[in-house]
Amino acid sequence: MLSYQLPHLPPELSQIHIALYTGVAPADAAALKRRLISAATAEGVEGEREREAVNFAFVDARLITSTRLLRAAVYSAVLADAQGRLLTKTVHSEIIWTLNPTNNISEAMRRYGVSETTTALVLVRVAGPDLPASDIQIAMDAAVKGKRVLMEELESVTDWGAIKKYHKLANEPALKEVRGNVAGEHAIIDEIVVSQAALRSVQA
Amino acid sequence: MASLRLIAASTLISQGAEAKVYKARLTSDESDPPVLLKHRFQKGYRHPSLDSSLTRSRVTGEARALVKCLRAGVNVPGLRMVDAAEGILGIEWIDGLSVRKLLPGGTPEEEDEEEEDTPEPLTEYGISVDVLMRLIGQELAKLHLADVIHGDLTTSNMMLRHPRSFASHDSSLPTQLVLIDFGLSYHSSLVEDKAVDLYVLERAFASTHPQSEPLFAQVLEAYEQGMGKEWAAVSRRLDDVRLRGRKRSMVG
Repeated sequence: MLSYQLPHLPPELSQIHIALYTGVAPADAAALKRRLISAATAEGVEGEREREAVNFAFVDARLITSTRLLRAAVYSAVLADAQGRLLTKTVHSEIIWTLNPTNNISEAMRRYGVSETTTALVLVRVAGPDLPASDIQIAMDAAVKGKRVLMEELESVTDWGAIKKYHKLANEPALKEVRGNVAGEHAIIDEIVVSQAALRSVQA
Repeated sequence: MASLRLIAASTLISQGAEAKVYKARLTSDESDPPVLLKHRFQKGYRHPSLDSSLTRSRVTGEARALVKCLRAGVNVPGLRMVDAAEGILGIEWIDGLSVRKLLPGGTPEEEDEEEEDTPEPLTEYGISVDVLMRLIGQELAKLHLADVIHGDLTTSNMMLRHPRSFASHDSSLPTQLVLIDFGLSYHSSLVEDKAVDLYVLERAFASTHPQSEPLFAQVLEAYEQGMGKEWAAVSRRLDDVRLRGRKRSMVG
């Protein structure tokens, strides 16, 4: 798990925890998605407890190019929350909305959230300093059936073709310049999507 | 408030009439590289509501221009954060120097004169002046082919990445020319705007770098190659602009 602070933001939004899980079975991902949907509408104390158990941003890791991208999307979403201008219900859903290049919230959830085809997941938790990182790690491990791996393994699950499609990059001059150079192409796509995530706050 | 706290914890790099520039860290993570913050501070001489709407649209415009350039393959700093309400833009920190400081004979900017001890700073970047001129022409051609007008082309608004922190994909070129400061940029496909953009740079060369005429000719040569069919029209218009100056009409 990667943990870091945003020291300039309000304390309750200042602690960021990110973990990557691979080897998620599609059936388990589908069950997780159903669980998230039912948790959202569950009532009473039970509902509160259920919502806390899945109080993370569940991001499909295939569409994540780098931890840089996660950092940029988290920063944008947390800043929006701190300024009281969230466009979605929570800071966690705002992270998913920020990653998607269009303004359609349900499309963002469908593409970047957990789905029936998810095999690798990134979990993000925005928290305050009173919640220890070890507790968050335990809660993350309990929420996902998969193997927690180092963030460095992201590159092995990234689906560059899908990213190019969703960001409409195939015909951009930036990519034509590096045709045939895979490493160069990935670096450029990463830079574009990171910058795009940072731009989201002024695009809506 | 959050972004103002961020600025309070950052190092001031320079200040102009429109904005202050800082070096900052967005997160506590040591592996997270620093960013450059451009803060368009409040202008006391403007009505507050006019001030905030102008600031908001300029920050947004600059951020959009950067992303547009990235997609078009123009080398510009990547975007890291935008806080339009506070007038703050966070962009990639570029390790390097401005072309103004790297060109031989470039008059030093007022405050800092200590760089005279490096007689040939370009050698550190592994390229010759000729190559540098060609890089400028290529970058401007990409910019104009994407219909982005920079609006303030000078040798201070171009940087070279230092080879120590730049992983080049081209073994013959250890550095990269980066266009910076899109604060006055706009979208236009007009030949007039492209010609004026070039003319502004030509004048900047002439005033900051003595005997620069052959240098600018090299820039134009590379620009011509990059622009292809579009060059003829821009070239003709550039000749007109040279005769009359940047402003199209002096009357009315």
